[in-house]
Amino acid sequence: MRTDSVQKVTIETLVEAMQQPGGVFILDVRNREDYDAWKIESHHVTSRNIPYFDFLEEDERLFSDLPQDRPIYTVCAKGGSSEYVAQILSEKGYHVYSVSGGMEAWSQYYHPQIVYEDEKLKLVQFIRLGKGCLTYMLMSEGEAMIVDALRRVDFYEAYAEKEGVTIKHVIDTHIHADHISGGQKLAERVGATYYVSSHDVFEHGGSMRFEPLEKHSTLRVGSVEVDVIVIPTPGHTPGSTSLLIDKRFFLSGDTVFVSGLGRPDLGGRVEEWARDLYRTVSQKLSDLDDAVWVLPAHYAHFTEINEDGIVGAKLGELRRFNELLREMDEDVFTKAVEASASTERPPNFDKIIAINVGKLSVTPEDEIELEIGPNRCAVHHATA
Amino acid sequence: MNVQEIVAKADLVVDASGLGCPMPVVRAKKGIDTLQSGQIMVLKATDRGSLKDVPAWVQQTRHTLEEVVEGDGEYIFVVRKG
Repeated sequence: MRTDSVQKVTIETLVEAMQQPGGVFILDVRNREDYDAWKIESHHVTSRNIPYFDFLEEDERLFSDLPQDRPIYTVCAKGGSSEYVAQILSEKGYHVYSVSGGMEAWSQYYHPQIVYEDEKLKLVQFIRLGKGCLTYMLMSEGEAMIVDALRRVDFYEAYAEKEGVTIKHVIDTHIHADHISGGQKLAERVGATYYVSSHDVFEHGGSMRFEPLEKHSTLRVGSVEVDVIVIPTPGHTPGSTSLLIDKRFFLSGDTVFVSGLGRPDLGGRVEEWARDLYRTVSQKLSDLDDAVWVLPAHYAHFTEINEDGIVGAKLGELRRFNELLREMDEDVFTKAVEASASTERPPNFDKIIAINVGKLSVTPEDEIELEIGPNRCAVHHATA
Repeated sequence: MNVQEIVAKADLVVDASGLGCPMPVVRAKKGIDTLQSGQIMVLKATDRGSLKDVPAWVQQTRHTLEEVVEGDGEYIFVVRKG
């Protein structure tokens, strides 16, 4: 087997190609079950699944679906099988690239996208395309705040260095159940303060160093007037907190998503938390202007990425499309949220919480393994 | 039946321990091609991906997956050639 002739590309290169006119053709060679559960999806992605072991038989029919006039990107779990299949295709004359690291690398890739920039502030959204997690970096006058950092903290450090800013505040809007937080580690490495709600930490019997977020009503980033107003928003977890930046950008954590509301069922007290969520939605959010941008900590589907490449929407738009943000009868609201609650947990959710509150420590390899797969934190729009 | 007994009954043992995807299935395919219908191949693998991939591969062939033994980071697949 000659593997030297196979051209390999990184996830970054694949994402760049995904943004070009015409998009990309992906041949995913994992088994059907894994493909159906989780795959690379985006606007402008055409995807086919042919397991690599199908290529062990000389069957010409396999190739009938594959394009000869455009590049094929082969993807598998870690990059071994995609290379194997790329070799076979390359020998048949196809223009093919094997994506290095496969779905594991896809799960670990964060894509930076500028939400807004003027002379006063710059707000960047990091989109974890493989999992639907979002991190934010607010910069002003050489200072930065990072919200909902993921485990690859070197990524944010490099970005801050490139921007020439010092990270002062690192915040988790809540204790995450679906991915490993990089918040505490990042804060330690750069000498910043790590904030999270103590309600969430104590809920899970945590033991780590943190600054209680609920003690602060305002945080400052830069010398310019950039107020960060802490708005406790229980519902998803009892200590969930949202941030309102400069009265214009509402970092909603897992409370309000572009496609719906946060799941109040992850802690097992659905009705009680659904009522908390109701109070949040009816009282806290109703004060906010329609023009405020809602920027969540997660998204459930790539269609939530808008034409500017960010996950977010103006509150007015969300109010138009999501009746839960308008329906203000408490019982109707609670019933709708309860009905959409599910017993499905994010994979490994107990262990991930234990890691995020400092009760458990695992190897980096195990961390990657624990959080691989899609995100399941959002309740969909109740009618969807 | 323990692993020794399984291996003793095999017509062919393919050891893909330590090999990553796709090699366990590639070796298994090469191995089973040398057997007669009804004979038994035992495949040893350590790659976690093989736990799903080997059954999925066997399902598309005329062979039968008779048994899967999991333990100690090693997976043993017993495949009867169809």
